[in-house]
Amino acid sequence: MMLWILLAFLTAAVAAALLIPLLRGNAIAAGEGHASGHAGDIEVYRDQLKEIERDREQGLIEAEQAEYARAEVGRRLLAAAALKDGEVQAGSTRRKHGLATAIVTILPPAIGLCLYIMLGSPGLPDQPLEARLAAPGNDIALLVTKAERHLAENPSDGAGWDLLGPIYMRMQRPGDAELAYRNAIRLIGPSAARLTGLGEALMTLSDGVITEDARTSFEAALKLEPDDTRARFYVALGLEQAGKAPEALAAFEDIAKNSPADAPWMPLLSQHIAKNGGAPLAAAAPENGSGAGRAPGGPSQEDVAAAENLSQGDRQQMIRGMVDSLAARLKEEPNNLDGWLRLVRSYAVLGEKDKAGEALNQGLVQFSADANGKSQLLALAGEVGLTAQVQNPAEGAKQ
Amino acid sequence: MIVELGHYALVLALATALIVSILPMIGARRGDVALMTLGTTGSIALFLLVALSFGALTWAYVVSDFSVNNVWENSHSMMPLIYKYSGVWGNHEGSMMLWLLILTLFSALVAVFGRNLPETLKANVLGVQAWIASAFLFFILLTSNPFLRLNPAPAEGQDLNPVLQDLGLAVHPPLLYLGYVGFSVCFSFAVAALIEGRIDAAWARWVRPWTLAAWTFLTAGIAMGSYWAYYELGWGGWWFWDPVENASFMPWLAGTALLHSALVMEKREALKIWTVLLAIMTFSLSLLGTFLVRSGVLTSVHSFATDPTRGIFILCILALFIGGAFSLFAWRAPMLKAGGLFAPISREGGLVLNNLILTVATATVLTGTLYPLVLETLTGEKISVGAPFFNMTFGLLMLPLLIAVPFGPMLAWKRGDLLGALQRIYVFAALALAAGFVFAYLKGGGPILSIFGLALGFWGMFGAIADLWYRGNFGKLKFSVAFRRLAGLPRSAFGTAIAHFGLGVTVLGIFAATTFGTETVVDMKQGATVNAGGYQVTFDGMKDAAGPNYTEQRAHFTVREGGAVISDVWSSKRLYTARRMPTTEAGILTMALSQLYVSLGDPIDGGGMVVRIWWKPFILCIWGGALVMMFGGFVSLSDRRLRVGAPNRKAKAVKAAKPVMEPAE
Repeated sequence: MMLWILLAFLTAAVAAALLIPLLRGNAIAAGEGHASGHAGDIEVYRDQLKEIERDREQGLIEAEQAEYARAEVGRRLLAAAALKDGEVQAGSTRRKHGLATAIVTILPPAIGLCLYIMLGSPGLPDQPLEARLAAPGNDIALLVTKAERHLAENPSDGAGWDLLGPIYMRMQRPGDAELAYRNAIRLIGPSAARLTGLGEALMTLSDGVITEDARTSFEAALKLEPDDTRARFYVALGLEQAGKAPEALAAFEDIAKNSPADAPWMPLLSQHIAKNGGAPLAAAAPENGSGAGRAPGGPSQEDVAAAENLSQGDRQQMIRGMVDSLAARLKEEPNNLDGWLRLVRSYAVLGEKDKAGEALNQGLVQFSADANGKSQLLALAGEVGLTAQVQNPAEGAKQ
Repeated sequence: MIVELGHYALVLALATALIVSILPMIGARRGDVALMTLGTTGSIALFLLVALSFGALTWAYVVSDFSVNNVWENSHSMMPLIYKYSGVWGNHEGSMMLWLLILTLFSALVAVFGRNLPETLKANVLGVQAWIASAFLFFILLTSNPFLRLNPAPAEGQDLNPVLQDLGLAVHPPLLYLGYVGFSVCFSFAVAALIEGRIDAAWARWVRPWTLAAWTFLTAGIAMGSYWAYYELGWGGWWFWDPVENASFMPWLAGTALLHSALVMEKREALKIWTVLLAIMTFSLSLLGTFLVRSGVLTSVHSFATDPTRGIFILCILALFIGGAFSLFAWRAPMLKAGGLFAPISREGGLVLNNLILTVATATVLTGTLYPLVLETLTGEKISVGAPFFNMTFGLLMLPLLIAVPFGPMLAWKRGDLLGALQRIYVFAALALAAGFVFAYLKGGGPILSIFGLALGFWGMFGAIADLWYRGNFGKLKFSVAFRRLAGLPRSAFGTAIAHFGLGVTVLGIFAATTFGTETVVDMKQGATVNAGGYQVTFDGMKDAAGPNYTEQRAHFTVREGGAVISDVWSSKRLYTARRMPTTEAGILTMALSQLYVSLGDPIDGGGMVVRIWWKPFILCIWGGALVMMFGGFVSLSDRRLRVGAPNRKAKAVKAAKPVMEPAE
């Protein structure tokens, strides 16, 4: 309400300011003669004559030169004066400004309201960050920002970093998660959970590939806690990605042997054992697991807990979900070069060449006008071994 | 509520701009004072509304209101406060707001200080200004609205582009825009004169200071941009003939021509039509620059986000204003009265030569900038027109201009005496040549062409001194008398000499830095020492550090000369955490006017870094010269007197025995 009063006040003030000349106009016209063009010229030429006189007195120009200049300006002055006499004295008649008054009164509120209602968000209050941080409510993002502020001031609060690590992972900010885990490890020492978390963050950063760094981290976790199922799973997955099928198989089977038969990650293990040439586990048929048969009625408390466990075991599944949501997001907001690059790389890592190729071509179409984007996409395609069906051959684009 | 109030103020500004673009011009045609006065109050109201709107946006940035999409995209709550302010225009939407703010500010200044302008001229000028404001208001509201909101609001912003997190952002764009937009006033005056079909004496009085102010700001803006690119991008160069740089350089060249032709017009009432044309051309080039940079046609650090609708919108604005103004010129210019006559060898003639060369130079740069774009559009072929093209064509064109500059102020108005000027100035020419040789000798020699280049720089500087020397008539009169004469000279005469001196300094810097500079690229392990430009640079090692919103690896270097330590340099690679974007921060050691520039490359296997070291002798002269030019501009601007160029007598009247006295400015 306050906003509307202010807007009305502002509109009225502008309209009033513009109306004043119209209302006073007649008085001015009747009262004073205004400077017409030629009258202005005459004034300027008179000033110029004075200026020449001053220059001559100061000795800046010679008397003779001054005379020439005076003669020249004088000629112009006479010409201007002659023109002025021939001019009709304008503006002395009283005029009515009905139409102008109407325009000035109507246009500001009309245009103002129409455009503003179309473009503005009158219902939305200001939201300065400090005020929001003072009353964050249940907004996870705000709570995280608060924690970040706290950590920026107390960067040696290891427990704080430790808390933030998993939250970053859930918010899909693996880069920040990596930093948080590293800080926590540095400040309060390594633990299996922190090292595994760091490994997960590194893996997510490289689109699901277990890099050298990530592997080292998982192995360090196993040194501290040899039974950590998550870390063991990732080490096995790393072996699988490295193409060492027999070793991977042995590792997966070992995990399965040491897990309870009804553990939620059994179906996933079974898949990987089968993939590496072993016999699928009898205890867990794949259709029990990944939620194919789940009722659409909404998850129960148990389901949530199971999913939590499952997601700990099944990064691959989660990555799938992330990739799919990325693809969906790019469909809505295609103008995101990083997104396309990530999508192409993700599909390539997941081994889905067709989808990767498709994403590549979509990306190329989207950035057909952007030399930089196109060359980045093509470079990536070469890196992951894809050939694009490029429509136009202008790929030698300079950065 | 403040944000929404700002948004509404912007919408209301559009309504006001539309009123001011129509009613006062009708008033001017009918001789209706009331309607003409509406232009004055309307322009002031327009400025206040835009300022209110800009203030609201700035407030949203300062308090980190991430419910504003523009703030969320370009700010971060942990950013230092100064970048929160400068970040307002560190993005497409905000920079258009700054453009508009300066445009309306200039309109308001014309409205407030234009009391002595003829009413009709003032109404028309303010009307044309309001057309431009309306077009940009439509553009901002419909395609680049900075007030669009996000609900729910994110908790943290996406940070400002790290390259822009620099003091340069607080200085370079406002100066550049003051220049670009300042030329809009000249444009509006030109179009107003065409609409009226005549040019008043007051017209000339007004156009010159505006041109001078715009030119001064543009000079500073370009120089600051060049220096910023030099130290921030880590490439060690100061000008790349990049299309975006050219986009700002073309209005400067045309503006310099306009500045000189406006001079002729103010003092001698000659070159009227040509000045009108130049005013239109200069602002058209400013608009073209805005279009090239903002539409995404060019990819660079300036083209924040690309959006095809924006490109088309700007193209329409461009077609409307440039096409409209040139059509109007073709139609009305023949009705304007041509001005006074003058002999080819005269001050006017010199300024015409200046104008010719500068216009051709502008055309050259324009060709080099647009040709690759046109070719790509037509044939799909990609070519790049680089430094060799510009150095050959533009450099060659500048040569006669630089030689001619010192002669200009020596010639008399209307009829000049070239031989007389030569007789007086040849001493200074010889001095300049000698200085060039001495300079090269001290630096250990150089190619003969560079020596002439150095001499050219000295020539510019000495020529400016010679100008003042002869105006004071130091050779002939007693020192105290001559000094009094010098002190009595109008400030605009000093402005001219200072600006021409600055030009010489810049030329000297360009030739010295390119002739005697060295570039060293080496792999350096910790403890390694390399020779660069006569200094021994030792790489002492790397260290991790953190700033408010970035982490960095800093490399420490010790610089020795002949074994003695003279200083140390930090050079670093930064990673801005919010955008995970790396930047390089070059380490620059300034020694008098020269700089040692150390930039880090990639790490090499087995520890160590690729390090690039440039020795840039007298590089600061390049920007220092521009600052001197700017200072000259301000000195000249502070001279508010009326200016009359007193013509010289006919040649036959000159008595050989009598020394020829120079007319005052």
